[in-house]
Amino acid sequence: MRDSTSRVGIVGPGLGILVLLIMGALLLMAAAPVPAHGQEPRLAGRIPDAARAQVDAILDAARASGLPAEPLVDRALEGSAKGASPGLIVAAVTRLRDELLVVRSTFGASASPAELAAGASALRAGARSRDLAELRKLRPGQPLTVAAAVLADLVAAGVPADTAVGAVLVMASDAGDADYVAFRRNVQRDIMLGASPAAALGVRLRSATNLADAPGNETTATGGRRKQKP
Amino acid sequence: MTDPNDPLAGIIASLKEPVTIAPELTERVMAEIDRLPPPLAAGASVERWWRRRWTIRLSPVGGLALAAGLAAVIFASQLAGRRAGGAAPAADGAIVVRATQFVLVAPGAAAVSVVGDFNDWSLAATPLARADDDGVWWVTVPLTPGRYRYAFVVDGTIWRPDPEAPAADDEFGRPNSVVTIGGA
Repeated sequence: MRDSTSRVGIVGPGLGILVLLIMGALLLMAAAPVPAHGQEPRLAGRIPDAARAQVDAILDAARASGLPAEPLVDRALEGSAKGASPGLIVAAVTRLRDELLVVRSTFGASASPAELAAGASALRAGARSRDLAELRKLRPGQPLTVAAAVLADLVAAGVPADTAVGAVLVMASDAGDADYVAFRRNVQRDIMLGASPAAALGVRLRSATNLADAPGNETTATGGRRKQKP
Repeated sequence: MTDPNDPLAGIIASLKEPVTIAPELTERVMAEIDRLPPPLAAGASVERWWRRRWTIRLSPVGGLALAAGLAAVIFASQLAGRRAGGAAPAADGAIVVRATQFVLVAPGAAAVSVVGDFNDWSLAATPLARADDDGVWWVTVPLTPGRYRYAFVVDGTIWRPDPEAPAADDEFGRPNSVVTIGGA
């Protein structure tokens, strides 16, 4: 039986040292995390210099306090892509940071970055922190990302904020994420068909909570009927 | 009587001769014994096993392969964590990823891309493909559960919201749309 190790060993110890150096370099490169302090690499060359230092400082403070930096970086990149002024970018990132702090105090320290971002969207849409607290209470142990996001979506679609909050809370105990997504999609579709946002939400909420959507008997907020897809 | 021509008898005779021992042998043996470590106490053998030096023989090619494998595992785990964006796993612990299609009808466009929270708002990251001559553009993007703000950019300069999606809040003077991806 031949020993491949001794066979390749004839090239001498220099190659061994080289291999060790390459192994170390590979592992260092792979394990190198995003720096906790300093400049966020995703922003390099993407946002105006006048905003860079302030945004980096906000990111550092956010990380230090346990907030996710991803949504903040995304907001800065959005502003940059849209050609916003440095002041506008910093203001938008600061505002989002403040909203994330409110949501975290409401959802709890274990909330995921996606939950925090969705909760911030809900706050922006008009929900109050006590509404989010009620949502947390009604859905113990369940992810809140989709419920909070649907709340914001409904307001974006034209539903009054109080009405949207009420609908999301009514569904909170029993609805799964898929139910929330279907609910929002149906409301949006009815609005596009000409229903008023409030009427569309009312009809779809009754359907969702009373399970009135029997096959072949699906109603729309515009008064029409359409068959359920097979 | 022994036969002087018998080789075996010669060997036996030589073995019967007295052995001469050097006078300093005893001192040398005792000095070597003094240099030996003391006998191990109970449990010391286990400790010695833990502190034992191991030799791992690895060829340069094997070493590089091992390093590359470890680096790939670490890098992949970091990439997955970042792309998941902290998305909550499904009930079975898996991260849910949904293929999400973005479609825009832009008959006169030469190029269309989608920018959003899922691609660092990069104009070059997610170009749409033209589906037919009617100006239908589309792309499919894998997304984890969450709420994503996005917009289409036509010909690199014209920002357009998705007419099929809710409008999202915008602080920068250009319209956004929003897509919500459900979990389980």
